[in-house]
Amino acid sequence: MVEVQARVEAETPKERGATAMQLTNVAVAFHGRTAVRDCTFDVTKNTVTSLIGPSGSGKTTLLRALNRLHDLTPGAKVSGTIFLEGTDIYRGDITVTELRTRVGMVFQRPNPFPTMSIYDNVVSGLRFNGIKKKALLDEAAETSLRSAALWDSVSNRLKVAASNLSGGEQQRLCIARALALDPEVLLMDEPTSALDPIATLHIEELMKTLKSRVTVIIVTHNMQQAARISDDCAFLLMGDDRAGELIEFDTTEKIFNNPEDSRTLDYTLGRFG
Amino acid sequence: MSDVMELEPSHTGHEMREQIRQSADRNRSRRLAVSRVMVALCSAAIVLAAVPLVLLMYQLIKQGAGQISWKFFTTLPTTPTLLDPTATGGISNAIVGTLALTLYASVMAIPLGIIVGIYLAETQSKLATTLRVIAQTMAGAPSILMGLFAFSFIVHDLNVGFSAIAGSFALAVLMMPVIIISTEIAVRNVPATLREAGLALGAKSHKVSLKVVLPSALTGIVTGVILAISRAIGETAPVMLVIAGGFINSWKPLSPVSAMPLAIYENAKSEWPSQRAQVWGIALVLVVFVFILSLSARIWASRKQQVR
Repeated sequence: MVEVQARVEAETPKERGATAMQLTNVAVAFHGRTAVRDCTFDVTKNTVTSLIGPSGSGKTTLLRALNRLHDLTPGAKVSGTIFLEGTDIYRGDITVTELRTRVGMVFQRPNPFPTMSIYDNVVSGLRFNGIKKKALLDEAAETSLRSAALWDSVSNRLKVAASNLSGGEQQRLCIARALALDPEVLLMDEPTSALDPIATLHIEELMKTLKSRVTVIIVTHNMQQAARISDDCAFLLMGDDRAGELIEFDTTEKIFNNPEDSRTLDYTLGRFG
Repeated sequence: MSDVMELEPSHTGHEMREQIRQSADRNRSRRLAVSRVMVALCSAAIVLAAVPLVLLMYQLIKQGAGQISWKFFTTLPTTPTLLDPTATGGISNAIVGTLALTLYASVMAIPLGIIVGIYLAETQSKLATTLRVIAQTMAGAPSILMGLFAFSFIVHDLNVGFSAIAGSFALAVLMMPVIIISTEIAVRNVPATLREAGLALGAKSHKVSLKVVLPSALTGIVTGVILAISRAIGETAPVMLVIAGGFINSWKPLSPVSAMPLAIYENAKSEWPSQRAQVWGIALVLVVFVFILSLSARIWASRKQQVR
Protein backbone atom coordinates (compact mmCIF):
# COMPACT_ATOMS: atom_id res chain seq x y z
CA MET A 1 0.00 0.00 0.00
CA VAL A 2 2.80 2.34 0.88
CA GLU A 3 4.20 1.70 -2.55
CA VAL A 4 0.92 2.56 -4.21
CA GLN A 5 0.62 5.76 -2.29
CA ALA A 6 4.17 6.76 -3.11
CA ARG A 7 3.49 6.15 -6.75
CA VAL A 8 0.26 8.17 -6.69
CA GLU A 9 2.14 11.03 -5.18
CA ALA A 10 4.87 10.65 -7.74
CA GLU A 11 2.46 10.50 -10.61
CA THR A 12 0.16 13.16 -9.42
CA PRO A 13 2.19 16.19 -8.54
CA LYS A 14 1.15 19.71 -7.75
CA GLU A 15 -1.49 20.04 -10.46
CA ARG A 16 -3.67 17.72 -8.43
CA GLY A 17 -3.85 20.24 -5.64
CA ALA A 18 -4.02 19.87 -1.88
CA THR A 19 -5.28 16.89 0.10
CA ALA A 20 -8.78 17.07 1.56
CA MET A 21 -8.76 13.81 3.49
CA GLN A 22 -5.92 11.50 4.30
CA LEU A 23 -6.56 7.88 5.30
CA THR A 24 -3.82 5.78 6.87
CA ASN A 25 -4.35 2.10 7.67
CA VAL A 26 -8.02 2.68 8.32
CA ALA A 27 -9.89 -0.38 9.55
CA VAL A 28 -13.41 -0.80 10.91
CA ALA A 29 -14.45 -3.70 13.14
CA PHE A 30 -17.80 -4.62 14.63
CA HIS A 31 -17.62 -6.55 17.91
CA GLY A 32 -14.04 -7.50 17.15
CA ARG A 33 -14.78 -8.73 13.62
CA THR A 34 -12.99 -6.72 10.96
CA ALA A 35 -15.29 -5.46 8.22
CA VAL A 36 -12.75 -3.44 6.24
CA ARG A 37 -9.03 -2.79 6.68
CA ASP A 38 -5.78 -1.58 5.14
CA CYS A 39 -7.28 1.54 3.64
CA THR A 40 -4.56 4.06 2.94
CA PHE A 41 -5.08 6.78 0.37
CA ASP A 42 -5.32 10.52 -0.05
CA VAL A 43 -8.42 12.27 -1.30
CA THR A 44 -7.47 15.29 -3.37
CA LYS A 45 -9.38 18.52 -2.95
CA ASN A 46 -12.05 19.35 -5.55
CA THR A 47 -12.05 15.93 -7.12
CA VAL A 48 -14.51 13.07 -7.19
CA THR A 49 -13.14 9.89 -5.61
CA SER A 50 -15.16 6.73 -6.07
CA LEU A 51 -15.04 3.63 -3.91
CA ILE A 52 -15.80 0.59 -6.03
CA GLY A 53 -15.90 -3.13 -5.38
CA PRO A 54 -18.33 -6.01 -5.09
CA SER A 55 -20.94 -6.36 -2.34
CA GLY A 56 -19.39 -6.98 1.06
CA SER A 57 -16.09 -5.34 0.24
CA GLY A 58 -16.64 -2.66 2.87
CA LYS A 59 -17.18 0.42 0.70
CA THR A 60 -20.08 1.80 2.71
CA THR A 61 -18.44 0.82 6.00
CA LEU A 62 -15.34 2.77 5.02
CA LEU A 63 -17.40 5.77 3.89
CA ARG A 64 -19.29 5.90 7.16
CA ALA A 65 -16.00 6.02 9.07
CA LEU A 66 -15.24 9.34 7.37
CA ASN A 67 -17.99 11.27 9.20
CA ARG A 68 -17.87 9.08 12.30
CA LEU A 69 -21.32 7.63 11.69
CA HIS A 70 -20.09 4.38 13.26
CA ASP A 71 -19.99 6.20 16.60
CA LEU A 72 -23.68 5.32 16.93
CA THR A 73 -23.23 1.60 16.42
CA PRO A 74 -22.54 -0.30 19.62
CA GLY A 75 -19.44 -2.47 19.24
CA ALA A 76 -18.04 -0.58 16.26
CA LYS A 77 -14.37 0.37 16.36
CA VAL A 78 -12.45 2.45 13.85
CA SER A 79 -8.64 2.20 13.88
CA GLY A 80 -5.94 3.87 11.82
CA THR A 81 -6.00 7.61 11.26
CA ILE A 82 -8.21 9.83 9.15
CA PHE A 83 -7.17 13.43 8.67
CA LEU A 84 -9.45 16.20 7.47
CA GLU A 85 -7.34 19.19 6.44
CA GLY A 86 -4.64 18.22 8.91
CA THR A 87 -6.99 17.40 11.81
CA ASP A 88 -7.28 13.85 13.10
CA ILE A 89 -11.06 13.40 13.05
CA TYR A 90 -11.10 10.77 15.81
CA ARG A 91 -8.44 12.12 18.15
CA GLY A 92 -7.89 15.69 17.03
CA ASP A 93 -9.36 18.97 18.20
CA ILE A 94 -12.72 18.60 16.51
CA THR A 95 -16.15 17.64 17.85
CA VAL A 96 -18.19 15.04 16.06
CA THR A 97 -20.92 17.58 15.31
CA GLU A 98 -18.42 20.03 13.81
CA LEU A 99 -16.91 17.22 11.75
CA ARG A 100 -20.32 16.34 10.35
CA THR A 101 -20.98 19.92 9.32
CA ARG A 102 -17.67 19.87 7.43
CA VAL A 103 -18.14 16.38 5.98
CA GLY A 104 -21.69 16.12 4.65
CA MET A 105 -23.45 12.92 3.60
CA VAL A 106 -26.02 11.82 1.05
CA PHE A 107 -27.58 8.41 1.57
CA GLN A 108 -28.56 5.52 -0.63
CA ARG A 109 -32.26 6.27 -0.53
CA PRO A 110 -33.50 9.85 -0.55
CA ASN A 111 -34.35 10.61 3.09
CA PRO A 112 -35.78 14.11 3.33
CA PHE A 113 -37.47 14.81 6.68
CA PRO A 114 -41.09 13.91 5.92
CA THR A 115 -42.65 16.36 8.35
CA MET A 116 -40.71 19.34 7.00
CA SER A 117 -41.27 21.54 3.96
CA ILE A 118 -38.72 21.79 1.17
CA TYR A 119 -37.37 24.99 2.69
CA ASP A 120 -37.19 23.57 6.22
CA ASN A 121 -35.37 20.52 4.91
CA VAL A 122 -32.69 22.58 3.19
CA VAL A 123 -32.00 24.77 6.21
CA SER A 124 -32.43 21.99 8.79
CA GLY A 125 -28.69 21.45 9.18
CA LEU A 126 -28.16 25.15 9.84
CA ARG A 127 -31.02 25.22 12.34
CA PHE A 128 -29.69 22.12 14.14
CA ASN A 129 -26.48 24.04 14.59
CA GLY A 130 -28.11 27.08 16.08
CA ILE A 131 -28.45 29.44 13.12
CA LYS A 132 -31.73 31.30 13.37
CA LYS A 133 -31.33 34.50 11.32
CA LYS A 134 -33.91 34.40 8.56
CA ALA A 135 -31.85 36.32 6.02
CA LEU A 136 -28.98 33.89 6.45
CA LEU A 137 -31.24 30.85 6.15
CA ASP A 138 -33.01 32.26 3.07
CA GLU A 139 -29.72 32.91 1.36
CA ALA A 140 -28.33 29.46 2.19
CA ALA A 141 -31.54 27.82 0.99
CA GLU A 142 -31.42 29.55 -2.38
CA THR A 143 -27.67 29.02 -2.90
CA SER A 144 -27.73 25.34 -2.05
CA LEU A 145 -30.92 24.64 -4.00
CA ARG A 146 -29.29 26.33 -7.00
CA SER A 147 -26.14 24.25 -6.50
CA ALA A 148 -28.27 21.12 -6.44
CA ALA A 149 -30.02 22.22 -9.66
CA LEU A 150 -33.35 22.22 -7.91
CA TRP A 151 -34.07 25.92 -7.41
CA ASP A 152 -35.91 26.49 -10.69
CA SER A 153 -38.39 23.70 -10.13
CA VAL A 154 -39.12 24.37 -6.44
CA SER A 155 -38.60 28.10 -5.87
CA ASN A 156 -42.36 28.75 -6.11
CA ARG A 157 -43.32 25.95 -3.70
CA LEU A 158 -40.73 26.05 -0.94
CA LYS A 159 -43.39 25.61 1.74
CA VAL A 160 -44.68 22.38 0.25
CA ALA A 161 -43.92 19.10 2.04
CA ALA A 162 -40.70 17.55 0.75
CA SER A 163 -42.43 14.21 0.24
CA ASN A 164 -44.35 15.69 -2.70
CA LEU A 165 -41.17 15.72 -4.78
CA SER A 166 -40.19 12.88 -7.09
CA GLY A 167 -37.44 10.45 -6.04
CA GLY A 168 -34.78 12.24 -8.09
CA GLU A 169 -35.86 15.63 -6.78
CA GLN A 170 -35.85 14.30 -3.22
CA GLN A 171 -32.26 13.11 -3.66
CA ARG A 172 -31.25 16.52 -5.03
CA LEU A 173 -33.00 18.06 -2.03
CA CYS A 174 -30.86 15.85 0.22
CA ILE A 175 -27.78 17.07 -1.64
CA ALA A 176 -28.92 20.66 -1.16
CA ARG A 177 -29.53 19.95 2.52
CA ALA A 178 -25.95 18.71 2.90
CA LEU A 179 -24.55 21.62 0.84
CA ALA A 180 -26.34 24.22 2.96
CA LEU A 181 -23.74 23.68 5.69
CA ASP A 182 -21.04 24.51 3.14
CA PRO A 183 -19.07 21.31 3.77
CA GLU A 184 -15.54 20.69 2.49
CA VAL A 185 -16.26 17.04 1.72
CA LEU A 186 -19.46 15.40 0.55
CA LEU A 187 -19.86 11.65 1.13
CA MET A 188 -22.31 9.92 -1.17
CA ASP A 189 -23.42 6.36 -0.50
CA GLU A 190 -24.71 4.95 -3.79
CA PRO A 191 -26.79 8.09 -4.26
CA THR A 192 -28.39 6.98 -7.51
CA SER A 193 -29.11 3.32 -6.76
CA ALA A 194 -32.77 4.06 -5.99
CA LEU A 195 -33.25 6.36 -8.98
CA ASP A 196 -34.24 5.90 -12.61
CA PRO A 197 -31.68 6.49 -15.40
CA ILE A 198 -32.78 10.06 -16.15
CA ALA A 199 -32.63 11.10 -12.50
CA THR A 200 -29.28 9.30 -12.24
CA LEU A 201 -27.96 11.30 -15.17
CA HIS A 202 -29.05 14.55 -13.50
CA ILE A 203 -27.26 13.64 -10.28
CA GLU A 204 -24.11 12.67 -12.20
CA GLU A 205 -24.13 15.97 -14.09
CA LEU A 206 -24.56 17.66 -10.75
CA MET A 207 -21.56 15.91 -9.23
CA LYS A 208 -19.32 17.13 -12.02
CA THR A 209 -20.25 20.73 -11.29
CA LEU A 210 -20.23 20.27 -7.52
CA LYS A 211 -16.58 19.37 -7.31
CA SER A 212 -15.57 22.96 -7.91
CA ARG A 213 -16.91 23.79 -4.45
CA VAL A 214 -16.74 20.49 -2.57
CA THR A 215 -14.65 17.32 -2.58
CA VAL A 216 -16.84 14.32 -3.37
CA ILE A 217 -16.31 10.75 -2.17
CA ILE A 218 -18.85 8.39 -3.66
CA VAL A 219 -19.61 4.72 -3.15
CA THR A 220 -20.99 3.14 -6.29
CA HIS A 221 -21.86 -0.30 -7.58
CA ASN A 222 -22.05 1.05 -11.06
CA MET A 223 -18.64 0.91 -12.75
CA GLN A 224 -19.73 3.01 -15.70
CA GLN A 225 -20.74 5.63 -13.21
CA ALA A 226 -17.36 5.49 -11.49
CA ALA A 227 -15.62 5.76 -14.87
CA ARG A 228 -17.84 8.67 -15.99
CA ILE A 229 -17.66 10.88 -12.95
CA SER A 230 -14.64 10.17 -10.80
CA ASP A 231 -11.06 11.41 -10.95
CA ASP A 232 -9.67 8.83 -8.56
CA CYS A 233 -10.80 5.35 -7.75
CA ALA A 234 -10.34 3.04 -4.76
CA PHE A 235 -10.96 -0.64 -5.47
CA LEU A 236 -11.93 -2.79 -2.49
CA LEU A 237 -12.37 -6.53 -2.35
CA MET A 238 -13.45 -9.02 0.27
CA GLY A 239 -10.49 -11.01 1.58
CA ASP A 240 -10.40 -14.69 2.54
CA ASP A 241 -11.56 -13.88 6.07
CA ARG A 242 -14.57 -12.00 4.64
CA ALA A 243 -13.12 -8.63 5.61
CA GLY A 244 -12.93 -6.00 2.91
CA GLU A 245 -9.57 -4.55 2.02
CA LEU A 246 -8.18 -1.92 -0.30
CA ILE A 247 -6.67 -3.58 -3.36
CA GLU A 248 -5.70 -0.56 -5.35
CA PHE A 249 -6.01 3.20 -5.33
CA ASP A 250 -5.17 5.28 -8.35
CA THR A 251 -6.52 7.68 -10.92
CA THR A 252 -9.74 6.44 -12.49
CA GLU A 253 -8.02 6.33 -15.85
CA LYS A 254 -5.33 4.01 -14.54
CA ILE A 255 -7.73 1.79 -12.60
CA PHE A 256 -9.90 1.23 -15.65
CA ASN A 257 -7.22 1.05 -18.33
CA ASN A 258 -4.03 -0.20 -16.80
CA PRO A 259 -4.37 -1.33 -13.18
CA GLU A 260 -1.48 -2.77 -11.19
CA ASP A 261 -3.46 -5.66 -9.73
CA SER A 262 -4.98 -8.31 -11.97
CA ARG A 263 -8.04 -8.55 -9.70
CA THR A 264 -8.82 -4.90 -10.39
CA LEU A 265 -8.75 -5.57 -14.10
CA ASP A 266 -10.98 -8.64 -13.71
CA TYR A 267 -13.50 -6.62 -11.76
CA THR A 268 -13.60 -3.60 -14.03
CA LEU A 269 -13.94 -5.90 -17.03
CA GLY A 270 -16.90 -7.54 -15.35
CA ARG A 271 -15.33 -10.96 -14.90
CA PHE A 272 -16.72 -11.16 -11.37
CA GLY A 273 -18.72 -9.15 -8.84
CA MET B 1 -27.66 -31.11 -32.63
CA SER B 2 -28.28 -27.61 -31.53
CA ASP B 3 -31.79 -27.72 -33.01
CA VAL B 4 -32.71 -30.73 -30.90
CA MET B 5 -31.25 -29.12 -27.81
CA GLU B 6 -33.45 -26.11 -28.33
CA LEU B 7 -36.58 -28.09 -29.12
CA GLU B 8 -36.42 -30.44 -26.19
CA PRO B 9 -36.97 -28.05 -23.29
CA SER B 10 -39.72 -26.13 -25.05
CA HIS B 11 -41.48 -29.44 -25.76
CA THR B 12 -41.52 -30.52 -22.11
CA GLY B 13 -42.43 -26.97 -21.18
CA HIS B 14 -45.46 -27.21 -23.44
CA GLU B 15 -46.51 -30.54 -21.96
CA MET B 16 -46.15 -29.17 -18.46
CA ARG B 17 -48.26 -26.13 -19.26
CA GLU B 18 -50.95 -28.40 -20.72
CA GLN B 19 -51.02 -30.44 -17.53
CA ILE B 20 -51.28 -27.34 -15.38
CA ARG B 21 -54.20 -26.14 -17.49
CA GLN B 22 -55.99 -29.47 -17.21
CA SER B 23 -55.53 -29.62 -13.48
CA ALA B 24 -56.86 -26.06 -13.19
CA ASP B 25 -59.97 -27.01 -15.21
CA ARG B 26 -60.60 -30.10 -13.10
CA ASN B 27 -60.51 -28.12 -9.90
CA ARG B 28 -62.39 -25.13 -11.18
CA SER B 29 -65.90 -26.05 -10.01
CA ARG B 30 -64.65 -27.26 -6.65
CA ARG B 31 -62.67 -24.05 -6.10
CA LEU B 32 -65.68 -21.94 -7.03
CA ALA B 33 -67.83 -23.82 -4.52
CA VAL B 34 -65.27 -23.41 -1.75
CA SER B 35 -64.94 -19.73 -2.57
CA ARG B 36 -68.74 -19.21 -2.32
CA VAL B 37 -68.91 -20.99 1.04
CA MET B 38 -66.03 -18.91 2.40
CA VAL B 39 -67.61 -15.64 1.27
CA ALA B 40 -70.89 -16.71 2.89
CA LEU B 41 -69.12 -17.59 6.15
CA CYS B 42 -67.29 -14.26 6.22
CA SER B 43 -70.52 -12.34 5.60
CA ALA B 44 -72.26 -14.28 8.35
CA ALA B 45 -69.43 -13.51 10.76
CA ILE B 46 -69.65 -9.79 9.95
CA VAL B 47 -73.42 -9.77 10.54
CA LEU B 48 -73.00 -11.74 13.76
CA ALA B 49 -70.40 -9.29 15.02
CA ALA B 50 -72.50 -6.29 14.03
CA VAL B 51 -75.77 -7.46 15.62
CA PRO B 52 -74.91 -6.74 19.27
CA LEU B 53 -73.37 -3.41 18.31
CA VAL B 54 -76.40 -2.30 16.30
CA LEU B 55 -78.77 -3.48 19.03
CA LEU B 56 -76.77 -1.58 21.61
CA MET B 57 -76.77 1.64 19.60
CA TYR B 58 -80.50 1.22 18.88
CA GLN B 59 -81.31 0.77 22.56
CA LEU B 60 -79.02 3.63 23.54
CA ILE B 61 -80.63 6.09 21.16
CA LYS B 62 -84.19 4.87 21.68
CA GLN B 63 -84.00 5.06 25.46
CA GLY B 64 -81.49 7.87 25.77
CA ALA B 65 -82.56 10.46 23.20
CA GLY B 66 -85.73 11.30 25.14
CA GLN B 67 -83.66 12.23 28.18
CA ILE B 68 -81.55 14.78 26.38
CA SER B 69 -82.53 18.40 26.89
CA TRP B 70 -80.80 21.66 27.67
CA LYS B 71 -81.79 21.20 31.30
CA PHE B 72 -80.19 17.73 31.32
CA PHE B 73 -76.81 19.30 30.62
CA THR B 74 -77.08 22.38 32.77
CA THR B 75 -78.79 21.50 36.04
CA LEU B 76 -77.74 19.53 39.06
CA PRO B 77 -79.45 16.25 39.90
CA THR B 78 -82.32 16.27 42.38
CA THR B 79 -83.83 13.42 44.33
CA PRO B 80 -87.36 12.52 43.30
CA THR B 81 -90.03 12.63 46.02
CA LEU B 82 -93.38 10.96 46.35
CA LEU B 83 -94.98 14.26 45.37
CA ASP B 84 -92.79 14.65 42.29
CA PRO B 85 -91.44 11.22 41.32
CA THR B 86 -89.97 12.48 38.02
CA ALA B 87 -87.88 15.30 39.47
CA THR B 88 -84.47 13.88 38.58
CA GLY B 89 -82.75 17.08 37.53
CA GLY B 90 -79.77 17.11 35.16
CA ILE B 91 -76.28 15.74 35.17
CA SER B 92 -74.17 18.88 35.02
CA ASN B 93 -72.11 17.75 38.02
CA ALA B 94 -71.24 14.47 36.29
CA ILE B 95 -70.27 16.24 33.06
CA VAL B 96 -68.12 18.80 34.87
CA GLY B 97 -66.66 16.04 37.03
CA THR B 98 -65.74 13.87 34.06
CA LEU B 99 -64.16 16.82 32.25
CA ALA B 100 -62.19 17.81 35.35
CA LEU B 101 -61.05 14.25 36.06
CA THR B 102 -59.98 13.73 32.45
CA LEU B 103 -58.21 17.08 32.32
CA TYR B 104 -56.16 16.50 35.47
CA ALA B 105 -55.45 12.89 34.55
CA SER B 106 -54.25 14.00 31.10
CA VAL B 107 -52.00 16.68 32.59
CA MET B 108 -50.41 14.02 34.79
CA ALA B 109 -50.24 11.09 32.37
CA ILE B 110 -49.60 12.53 28.90
CA PRO B 111 -46.23 14.30 29.36
CA LEU B 112 -44.85 11.58 31.60
CA GLY B 113 -46.14 8.77 29.39
CA ILE B 114 -44.68 10.31 26.23
CA ILE B 115 -41.31 10.93 27.85
CA VAL B 116 -41.09 7.37 29.17
CA GLY B 117 -42.22 6.00 25.79
CA ILE B 118 -39.48 7.93 23.98
CA TYR B 119 -36.96 6.77 26.54
CA LEU B 120 -37.94 3.14 26.01
CA ALA B 121 -37.70 3.50 22.24
CA GLU B 122 -34.32 5.22 22.24
CA THR B 123 -32.31 3.38 24.86
CA GLN B 124 -31.38 -0.18 25.61
CA SER B 125 -30.73 -0.48 29.32
CA LYS B 126 -31.81 -2.64 32.22
CA LEU B 127 -33.95 0.25 33.44
CA ALA B 128 -35.71 0.47 30.09
CA THR B 129 -36.41 -3.25 30.04
CA THR B 130 -37.79 -3.11 33.57
CA LEU B 131 -39.97 -0.08 32.78
CA ARG B 132 -41.33 -1.82 29.69
CA VAL B 133 -42.33 -4.91 31.66
CA ILE B 134 -44.01 -2.73 34.29
CA ALA B 135 -45.91 -0.77 31.62
CA GLN B 136 -47.08 -3.94 29.90
CA THR B 137 -48.20 -5.48 33.18
CA MET B 138 -50.00 -2.30 34.19
CA ALA B 139 -51.78 -2.17 30.84
CA GLY B 140 -53.32 -5.53 31.60
CA ALA B 141 -54.10 -4.89 35.27
CA PRO B 142 -57.79 -4.66 36.30
CA SER B 143 -58.80 -1.03 36.58
CA ILE B 144 -60.31 -1.39 40.06
CA LEU B 145 -56.73 -1.86 41.21
CA MET B 146 -55.92 1.73 40.29
CA GLY B 147 -58.92 2.82 42.35
CA LEU B 148 -57.77 0.80 45.36
CA PHE B 149 -54.28 2.22 45.03
CA ALA B 150 -55.53 5.80 44.75
CA PHE B 151 -57.80 5.21 47.77
CA SER B 152 -55.13 3.81 50.03
CA PHE B 153 -52.36 6.14 48.86
CA ILE B 154 -54.01 9.50 48.12
CA VAL B 155 -57.26 9.42 50.07
CA HIS B 156 -55.98 7.60 53.12
CA ASP B 157 -52.18 7.77 53.49
CA LEU B 158 -51.74 11.32 52.19
CA ASN B 159 -55.02 12.24 53.88
CA VAL B 160 -56.27 14.19 50.88
CA GLY B 161 -59.76 12.75 51.20
CA PHE B 162 -62.29 11.93 48.53
CA SER B 163 -61.44 14.28 45.71
CA ALA B 164 -61.11 14.91 41.99
CA ILE B 165 -57.35 14.71 42.32
CA ALA B 166 -57.53 11.19 43.78
CA GLY B 167 -59.80 10.11 40.91
CA SER B 168 -57.64 11.68 38.25
CA PHE B 169 -54.57 10.09 39.81
CA ALA B 170 -56.21 6.68 39.42
CA LEU B 171 -57.13 7.49 35.81
CA ALA B 172 -53.62 8.77 35.10
CA VAL B 173 -52.13 5.48 36.32
CA LEU B 174 -54.58 3.75 33.99
CA MET B 175 -53.73 5.95 31.00
CA MET B 176 -49.98 5.91 31.38
CA PRO B 177 -49.21 2.38 30.14
CA VAL B 178 -51.35 2.91 27.05
CA ILE B 179 -49.49 6.13 26.23
CA ILE B 180 -46.08 4.63 27.01
CA ILE B 181 -46.60 1.59 24.80
CA SER B 182 -48.09 3.46 21.84
CA THR B 183 -45.40 6.16 22.02
CA GLU B 184 -42.64 3.57 22.05
CA ILE B 185 -44.10 1.83 18.99
CA ALA B 186 -44.60 5.13 17.14
CA VAL B 187 -41.03 6.26 17.83
CA ARG B 188 -39.58 2.89 16.90
CA ASN B 189 -41.43 3.00 13.60
CA VAL B 190 -39.59 6.14 12.51
CA PRO B 191 -37.03 4.91 9.95
CA ALA B 192 -33.45 4.85 11.20
CA THR B 193 -32.38 6.60 7.99
CA LEU B 194 -34.11 9.80 9.18
CA ARG B 195 -32.19 9.75 12.44
CA GLU B 196 -28.95 9.19 10.50
CA ALA B 197 -29.81 12.03 8.16
CA GLY B 198 -30.17 14.35 11.13
CA LEU B 199 -26.95 13.21 12.79
CA ALA B 200 -25.06 13.45 9.50
CA LEU B 201 -26.01 17.15 9.42
CA GLY B 202 -24.15 17.70 12.67
CA ALA B 203 -27.22 17.68 14.91
CA LYS B 204 -26.81 16.53 18.47
CA SER B 205 -28.67 13.38 19.40
CA HIS B 206 -31.34 15.10 21.51
CA LYS B 207 -31.98 17.63 18.72
CA VAL B 208 -32.57 14.79 16.28
CA SER B 209 -35.00 13.20 18.73
CA LEU B 210 -36.91 16.44 19.22
CA LYS B 211 -36.89 17.90 15.71
CA VAL B 212 -36.87 14.84 13.47
CA VAL B 213 -38.00 11.69 15.25
CA LEU B 214 -40.74 13.16 17.43
CA PRO B 215 -42.55 15.06 14.64
CA SER B 216 -42.42 11.96 12.46
CA ALA B 217 -43.90 9.86 15.25
CA LEU B 218 -46.49 12.47 16.26
CA THR B 219 -49.46 10.89 14.49
CA GLY B 220 -48.93 7.60 16.28
CA ILE B 221 -48.34 9.30 19.63
CA VAL B 222 -51.48 11.43 19.41
CA THR B 223 -53.56 8.43 18.38
CA GLY B 224 -52.32 6.58 21.47
CA VAL B 225 -53.03 9.55 23.73
CA ILE B 226 -56.59 9.88 22.46
CA LEU B 227 -57.13 6.17 22.87
CA ALA B 228 -55.96 6.49 26.47
CA ILE B 229 -58.26 9.47 27.12
CA SER B 230 -61.23 7.66 25.58
CA ARG B 231 -60.60 4.72 27.83
CA ALA B 232 -60.21 6.87 30.94
CA ILE B 233 -63.43 8.81 30.29
CA GLY B 234 -65.51 5.65 30.37
CA GLU B 235 -63.92 4.00 33.40
CA THR B 236 -66.06 3.60 36.51
CA ALA B 237 -64.05 1.31 38.71
CA PRO B 238 -60.96 3.46 39.35
CA VAL B 239 -62.99 6.54 40.31
CA MET B 240 -65.91 5.10 42.26
CA LEU B 241 -63.81 4.48 45.35
CA VAL B 242 -62.19 7.87 45.55
CA ILE B 243 -64.29 10.77 44.19
CA ALA B 244 -67.33 10.39 46.46
CA GLY B 245 -69.79 11.53 43.76
CA GLY B 246 -70.20 15.16 44.77
CA PHE B 247 -73.50 16.90 43.99
CA ILE B 248 -71.97 20.21 42.92
CA ASN B 249 -70.37 21.52 39.74
CA SER B 250 -66.77 21.69 40.83
CA TRP B 251 -63.50 22.03 38.98
CA LYS B 252 -61.51 22.16 42.23
CA PRO B 253 -58.99 19.32 42.44
CA LEU B 254 -59.55 18.82 46.16
CA SER B 255 -63.34 18.74 46.20
CA PRO B 256 -65.40 15.59 45.71
CA VAL B 257 -66.80 15.35 42.20
CA SER B 258 -69.10 13.11 40.22
CA ALA B 259 -68.43 11.46 36.86
CA MET B 260 -70.67 10.18 34.11
CA PRO B 261 -69.83 6.48 34.51
CA LEU B 262 -70.34 6.78 38.27
CA ALA B 263 -73.69 8.55 37.74
CA ILE B 264 -74.78 5.67 35.52
CA TYR B 265 -73.81 3.20 38.23
CA GLU B 266 -75.55 5.12 41.01
CA ASN B 267 -78.73 5.82 39.03
CA ALA B 268 -79.02 2.25 37.88
CA LYS B 269 -79.28 1.23 41.54
CA SER B 270 -81.96 3.84 42.28
CA GLU B 271 -85.40 2.86 43.50
CA TRP B 272 -86.99 5.58 41.36
CA PRO B 273 -87.88 4.52 37.80
CA SER B 274 -87.29 8.07 36.63
CA GLN B 275 -83.69 7.95 37.82
CA ARG B 276 -83.17 4.51 36.33
CA ALA B 277 -84.41 5.83 32.99
CA GLN B 278 -81.83 8.58 33.19
CA VAL B 279 -78.90 6.18 32.82
CA TRP B 280 -79.57 5.84 29.08
CA GLY B 281 -79.34 9.58 28.66
CA ILE B 282 -76.03 9.70 30.52
CA ALA B 283 -74.71 6.72 28.58
CA LEU B 284 -75.66 8.40 25.30
CA VAL B 285 -73.80 11.58 26.26
CA LEU B 286 -70.76 9.54 27.27
CA VAL B 287 -70.72 7.57 24.01
CA VAL B 288 -71.06 10.76 21.97
CA PHE B 289 -68.12 12.24 23.94
CA VAL B 290 -65.90 9.28 23.14
CA PHE B 291 -67.13 9.19 19.53
CA ILE B 292 -66.24 12.84 18.99
CA LEU B 293 -62.81 12.28 20.53
CA SER B 294 -61.88 9.30 18.38
CA LEU B 295 -63.39 10.89 15.26
CA SER B 296 -61.29 14.01 15.73
CA ALA B 297 -58.23 11.81 16.27
CA ARG B 298 -58.91 10.01 13.01
CA ILE B 299 -59.47 13.21 11.05
CA TRP B 300 -56.34 14.74 12.53
CA ALA B 301 -54.26 11.66 11.77
CA SER B 302 -55.46 11.37 8.17
CA ARG B 303 -54.80 15.07 7.54
CA LYS B 304 -51.28 14.63 8.91
CA GLN B 305 -50.83 11.63 6.65
CA GLN B 306 -51.74 13.73 3.62
CA VAL B 307 -49.15 16.35 4.46
CA ARG B 308 -46.59 13.59 4.14
